[in-house]
Amino acid sequence: HISVGCTYLLLLLYNSLFYFSVFAADDGLVNEEVKRTVDLSTHLAKITAEILLSNQGDSAVHSFILAVESDLAPHLAYIGASVKGDEEEDGMLELKQTAIQGQSGEFYKVQLPSSLGAGAKLRVKVETVFSHVLRPFPTHITQAERQLVVFQGNHYLFSPYPTRSQTTRVRLASKTVETYTKLGNPSKSDDAIEYGPFRDVAPFSEDTMKVHYENNTPFLTISSITRTIEVSHWGNIAVEETIDLRHTGAFLKGPFSRYDYQRQSDSGISSVKSFKTILPASAQDVYYRDEIGNISTSHLQVLEDSVEVEVRPRFPLFGGWKTHYIIGYNLPSYEYLYTLGDQYALKMRLVDHVYDDQVIDSLTVKLILPEGARNIHVETPYPIDRVPDQLHYTYLDTFGRPVLVASKTNLVEQHIQDIVVHYTFNKILMLQEPLLVVGAFYILFFTVIIYVRLDFSITKDPAAEVRMKVASITEQVLTLVNKRLGLYRHMDEVVNRYKQSRDAGALNSGRKTLEADHRTLTNDISSLQARLKAEGSDLADKVGEVQKLDGQVKELVCRSCQEAERLVAGKVKKEAYIENEKNLASKRLDLVTRIDSLLDTL
Amino acid sequence: MAEHHTVTDGKHKASPNAGGSLHGNSRPNVASGGGGKGGLSGGLAQPAGWQSLLSFTILFLAWLAGFSSRLFAVIRFESIIHEFDPWFNYRSTHHLTTNGFYEFLNWFDERSWYPLGRIVGGTVYPGLMVTAGLIHYVLNLLHLTVHIRDVCVFLAPVFSGLTSISTFLLTRELWNQGAGLLAACFIAIVPGYISRSVAGSFDNEGIAIFALQFTYYLWVKSIKTGSVFWSIGCCLSYFYMVSAWGGYVFIINLIPLHVFVLLLMQRYSRRVYIAYSTFYIVGLVLSMQIPFVGFQPIRTSEHMAAAGVFALLQAYAFLQYLKNRLTKQEFQTLFFLGVALAAGVVFLTVIYLTYTGELWTVSYAKIHIPIIASVSEHQPTTWVSFFFDLHILVCTFPAGLWFCIKNVNDERVFVALYAISAVYFAGVMVRLMLTLTPVVCMLSAIAFSSVFEHYLGDDMKRENPPVEDSSDEDDKRNSGNLYDKAGKVRKHVSEQEKAEEGLGPNIKSIVTMLMLMLLMMFAVHCTWVTSNAYSSPSVVLASYNHDGTRNILDDFREAYYWLRQNTDEHARVMSWWDYGYQIAGMANRTTLVDNNTWNNSHIALVGKAMSSNESAAYEIMRSLDVDYVLIIFGGVIGYSGDDINKFLWMVRIAEGEHPKDIRESDYFTPQGEFRVDKAGSPVLLSCLMYKMSYYRFGEMQLDFRTPPGFDRTRNAEIGNKDIKFKHLEEAFTSEHWLVRIYKVKKLDNREPLDHKLRSIVPRPKYTSKKV
Repeated sequence: HISVGCTYLLLLLYNSLFYFSVFAADDGLVNEEVKRTVDLSTHLAKITAEILLSNQGDSAVHSFILAVESDLAPHLAYIGASVKGDEEEDGMLELKQTAIQGQSGEFYKVQLPSSLGAGAKLRVKVETVFSHVLRPFPTHITQAERQLVVFQGNHYLFSPYPTRSQTTRVRLASKTVETYTKLGNPSKSDDAIEYGPFRDVAPFSEDTMKVHYENNTPFLTISSITRTIEVSHWGNIAVEETIDLRHTGAFLKGPFSRYDYQRQSDSGISSVKSFKTILPASAQDVYYRDEIGNISTSHLQVLEDSVEVEVRPRFPLFGGWKTHYIIGYNLPSYEYLYTLGDQYALKMRLVDHVYDDQVIDSLTVKLILPEGARNIHVETPYPIDRVPDQLHYTYLDTFGRPVLVASKTNLVEQHIQDIVVHYTFNKILMLQEPLLVVGAFYILFFTVIIYVRLDFSITKDPAAEVRMKVASITEQVLTLVNKRLGLYRHMDEVVNRYKQSRDAGALNSGRKTLEADHRTLTNDISSLQARLKAEGSDLADKVGEVQKLDGQVKELVCRSCQEAERLVAGKVKKEAYIENEKNLASKRLDLVTRIDSLLDTL
Repeated sequence: MAEHHTVTDGKHKASPNAGGSLHGNSRPNVASGGGGKGGLSGGLAQPAGWQSLLSFTILFLAWLAGFSSRLFAVIRFESIIHEFDPWFNYRSTHHLTTNGFYEFLNWFDERSWYPLGRIVGGTVYPGLMVTAGLIHYVLNLLHLTVHIRDVCVFLAPVFSGLTSISTFLLTRELWNQGAGLLAACFIAIVPGYISRSVAGSFDNEGIAIFALQFTYYLWVKSIKTGSVFWSIGCCLSYFYMVSAWGGYVFIINLIPLHVFVLLLMQRYSRRVYIAYSTFYIVGLVLSMQIPFVGFQPIRTSEHMAAAGVFALLQAYAFLQYLKNRLTKQEFQTLFFLGVALAAGVVFLTVIYLTYTGELWTVSYAKIHIPIIASVSEHQPTTWVSFFFDLHILVCTFPAGLWFCIKNVNDERVFVALYAISAVYFAGVMVRLMLTLTPVVCMLSAIAFSSVFEHYLGDDMKRENPPVEDSSDEDDKRNSGNLYDKAGKVRKHVSEQEKAEEGLGPNIKSIVTMLMLMLLMMFAVHCTWVTSNAYSSPSVVLASYNHDGTRNILDDFREAYYWLRQNTDEHARVMSWWDYGYQIAGMANRTTLVDNNTWNNSHIALVGKAMSSNESAAYEIMRSLDVDYVLIIFGGVIGYSGDDINKFLWMVRIAEGEHPKDIRESDYFTPQGEFRVDKAGSPVLLSCLMYKMSYYRFGEMQLDFRTPPGFDRTRNAEIGNKDIKFKHLEEAFTSEHWLVRIYKVKKLDNREPLDHKLRSIVPRPKYTSKKV
């Protein structure tokens, strides 16, 4: 068995040597010293390698190549490289995917910050994260059993450059290890296995490393997440995440016993009861629900620099079980939205923390910008697929809010980075919403006013009509009669003035105007009376009676006028006149009261 | 001046000031009155303006109070659909909004009554769903993106406001505006109505009471005016009622009864004829448009009274017509008497058949159909619940009824009949308390209003004559005239004053204080009952610790959501019918039986499976393609509404269909007790329901003071602690063991050998972490 392996190795070596020659001619880079750490303590495989690159060629190089084994490449969620300086860690390096002829796997060309001269050395740190590479084995376990997983990787650093010396350290989740490959007689401590050092490894060397061990860490996977960010210029940013969660560890076989689960602490040890989601510190109005309502088993803790939600699904998640929930919150926009005149920039996380060491199989981000946002320009931290923009209608929208939709698969914690969206927005449009509300109320009140003031009935109620007409006529009669009575009072004044001034001309003219006014008024009233009669109202008779009484009053007024003339002319004595006058006045009062009472019954 | 009053009555169209200022005033006033008549600008300065503002404000506040007192559940828990039936209504509404109206009408629900399915479109009253769907549609059209769940949750509280407005209108027609406002306030907060219309209780009754009151209002209006317009309005409202609730039968019997009694009382008029003829014909045609009602209105006995009265009315009208033509007076009266008697006898038999039929069905059901009797809503009402639901109103409403009968007129006959029949029905069934509540509110409002008018009427009234715009109401009260003859009666202010002079101020204030105290206690009671009795979603339970903190027991949703997420999409879940709608709504899985209970034998089959032993049950479950069995078990937390407590009904229903296999007596001890402990009957201790409920419960010690396997609901140590399953396996149990789901195993490939699996030595007893 070993001999076969050796032959294979030799073959591989030979092959790689062939290619190595191609490269060596190119840049002459050599991995002087490599320290690999394979962290398998969670459900992710995080492989970090510290590489001391040395340029043994003749000319300076500006870039180098990182390689990922073809077995692991489809699971690669994240790859990043940074230069490790003497002091602090330097910034991230730029990566660009390339291909190498005749080699399977994925390759990334890393641009160096400054060129590496001949003979110079550089310490680089490469970080890769693989998802779904820990396979549960056995694939189905009962509630009482522990979860065992297998990891299959490479003992060596997969690199297009020869490696002088390297060590590999594997960190496990527990002490219990079923089997592991024993290349180079590794040493095993509590939860770590140390391989190497291996010397002078050829480029593109592969040797299968296999570890079968116990791992009860939560094998949670977000099979899909839709993150909706709705920006409002009224000071709020609403974030909502719809999450499909699945336990991707070993499937639960057989019954789920609540009794065992409650009584024995190690029962269902690989199941997930709850996890923590960290929200931004300014998150408010957090809600956590699903299709059938609020999930009451959660807790919220407001910390100094974050808001921590203890998300507890309705039921514990065993292998193969899934759940679905929605979590949402509001953020004040001043923390994320920047503005300069009509220019706006939104800087927010493209994807946020859901749980530690998260794996997202599929992410969809929807960014809803305010209605009227134009010239939208997006800067993403990493490549992401844009779907055609959509329109979204919500409260008080007329022509819809632009929605940017983007999606990406296979994300991990390292992808929690900011997205920047620039757009222009005319501030006048802010007035649109309040004006709409004002307009709606205006229309409402206006309709009510119109309805109340106008008669929209299509039928005529003759009785009511007549009543209304009669009412208006009586009203007019009342006014006219009052006016007429007013004339008499005016006449009285005229007579009094005459008695003092003895100006017969004034009296006569007064009498004439009285006569004229009285005639017109009486005619008016009688025409109204005729109209009342035409309407068939019995009030006409009463008006007639009023007219009759009024005639008498008129007569009395005329008589008092004449009496006054006679008094002035000296034909009667003052005493007799006063007596007479009193008599006339009482008669008049009597008549007027009768008229009044008649009017009251109108 | 009466003409002025009639013009201004009610409407704002004519100038409202004419009524007040013209009374017995001298000339200058008349002149100024005429001058101010130019427009409505002086609205608020005038009493009528104040009055309508006040009415508007009171109605608005009643709506607000009614709405907000129904929100206890939403505030304490969340915006969630309650109980059982609402879940079905919600699911159908959801279907309606996602698939459209016609798709909803043609909906065949293959997810219920497996393997039969259910034609939902033809077996529901669609009014509720259409209302909610329409509101949702309109809101979304206006880009108010409200979720359909929120529309459903808040529909009943919103409609309670409409109910109080229609109650106001109806009471105003019956008595006066003041009584109307009181009635609106009563109905807004009375527990008897709140019990069916809290936020989240998305059920037919929530909108049906509004439709009922509004139909009655329009009926009274059409009887009063005799206009086809109001009558058609009444028909449309009746159509809405038919589409919303099976209780429409109440209307279609009460209105004919009213007409019949009017005929008996010699109160026939052309108004009655026009109103009823229009209502019957148009209402009949409209009601037959609802698929679920179909041809019932011309077939079934409960609609026959309406037809009989219609025929009678036609005959009567014909006779009246003849009466004007014929000269032979004696012959004619004889003829009339003869025909009237004959028609009356026919009608009485119909009525008799209808009402005794109703009675008969209810009492028959109680004895012979356990499934109807098993529903707690169908139990007869106790005296306590009358007081509980209506409080002081139950005492005052006879007074209102007496006032109405004392000053009887056409529409007061109606309200009296309404009251009497509603009292009868409420006595038969707890559920029908709901139809009694509105009339109790109206009549109590009338009683309170009359008392207040007598005792609260202050001295101001004597100096200034009353300036209400509704002068005809005053007329009625004072002169004792009937409304229909009251049109020409003049107001005599002085007489009214005389009637009130005998009361001293002390008595007045004491009575007023007493009444106000009663009303205050009523409001307190209403709030208390609403908060404590009617505001639990029953889907979410809450318990309180000693320190007042609250524990939410969300087991139902936990288990339903587990079903939804972690079982096959087409998995069939067997459970008792109570949970059918919830499983369909929350778990979205196929059920065998649900709350629709249209197929008794299917339910009996499920009952039989639950009450048989495991192997017999397995046969039934395999024949029904059952994948999961869901039961409710309250023994851990002491929840009394669990399946073991309902178990006897399952046995009874199963016995009804399968008397050979299931006998109720087998489940009792020889002493005739139903016990779950060691003394219980062996049949009970080995039946499927028992085994599923208590599987592994025997190992569980909840408390130091009690032995393991102590059932807190029934306060007994269970009798069978060694429960093993052969064909089932525990699939899920919720956190507090409230819901237990078992998986029905497929048939084994080959007979398994009977050997023991190596098992870990069981540890000694564990004690519960929670006490």
